[in-house]
Amino acid sequence: MSMRSIYRGLRRNHSRLCSHLHSHATSFGFKEVREEDKSQMVGNVFTSVASSYDVMNDLMSGGLHRLWKERLVSRLNPFPGMKHLDVAGGTGDVAFRILDSIHGVARRAVGDIHDDNLLEETQIFVCDINPNMLRVGRKRAQERGLGDSKSLIWVEGDAEKLTFSDASMDGYTIAFGIRNVTHIEKALAEAYRVLKPGGRFLCLELSHVELPIFKDLYDYYSFSVIPKVGELVAGDRESYQYLVESIRRFPKQEKFATMIAEAGFQKVEYENLVGGVIAIHSGLKF
Amino acid sequence: MVRRSGVLLKKVAAGISSRLAEILVCPLTKQPLRMCDKTNSLISDSIGVSYPIVDGIPRLVPSDGIILHSDQDLNSSDPPQTNSS
Repeated sequence: MSMRSIYRGLRRNHSRLCSHLHSHATSFGFKEVREEDKSQMVGNVFTSVASSYDVMNDLMSGGLHRLWKERLVSRLNPFPGMKHLDVAGGTGDVAFRILDSIHGVARRAVGDIHDDNLLEETQIFVCDINPNMLRVGRKRAQERGLGDSKSLIWVEGDAEKLTFSDASMDGYTIAFGIRNVTHIEKALAEAYRVLKPGGRFLCLELSHVELPIFKDLYDYYSFSVIPKVGELVAGDRESYQYLVESIRRFPKQEKFATMIAEAGFQKVEYENLVGGVIAIHSGLKF
Repeated sequence: MVRRSGVLLKKVAAGISSRLAEILVCPLTKQPLRMCDKTNSLISDSIGVSYPIVDGIPRLVPSDGIILHSDQDLNSSDPPQTNSS
């Protein structure tokens, strides 16, 4: 075979590989967008849905999202005194649950002064790139009586460029957020960077259903029901169309697990919930 | 009562801010940040960028950083510049 045809073959494979590598970065749901625009477009979606975000979650999942988040927090095994980072956790759902869990642990343990100090040392950072989501979260914290809690710290930040120092976190969670990041690999690399050795990475995300009939029902629900509910309740069909499309464009469970391992994590596993509608991926930093 | 809760919020915010400067680093350089009470912002001296604190929430997104033209010129009224990364 001539050198020229080998070269041409390699170039074709290279560009196919590149387009595959960059497909998440340039996909906005089923639309193709410029990489530099994606962040802004996602930002607009969440600015628009922020105030009805929690109501819509309840409606779309029939309240099940609460159970999924409980499962995530129980997998995390929070402990008093821990430093935890919840990324894309704007409205605070996961952070509140972690705090509640820690207070629960503290109550059950045999109390002494050491434990009280540990409790005060607990720090849960809620990081979100969208200030509106954070504002909603902080308001909810105040409603729950956690407004003055020194353990809950709200920070506006980018999952791809985290504002925390290396090896500073015992735990890292990202619930329904990694799908919206432009460069998943960068977010995973940053997660690895900020975790201490022994730290746990947990990701709760909408994932892929393969079961034959259930898949069709799920597709129907996603594409026919959800945008309609979004239109009626949040007055925003487009955003919810983006949300359901972005689920389909996100890598499948195995592929995402590979990406997590490539970021350096060990013992990478995933757990499917509701037949794959939801997946909790986990990894450890050694 | 609204005024008092506003004052309380500011006090809490100030208290949090000084702690934040110890924990957080510049998202671009990962170097430590310095709290500036005058402009209520976190300064990254290594690249001369200041990140505002709005409503007690620090905005540590690279594109929210304001480039400082001189060390003393912390009242820079330039529009936020996007940091290329």
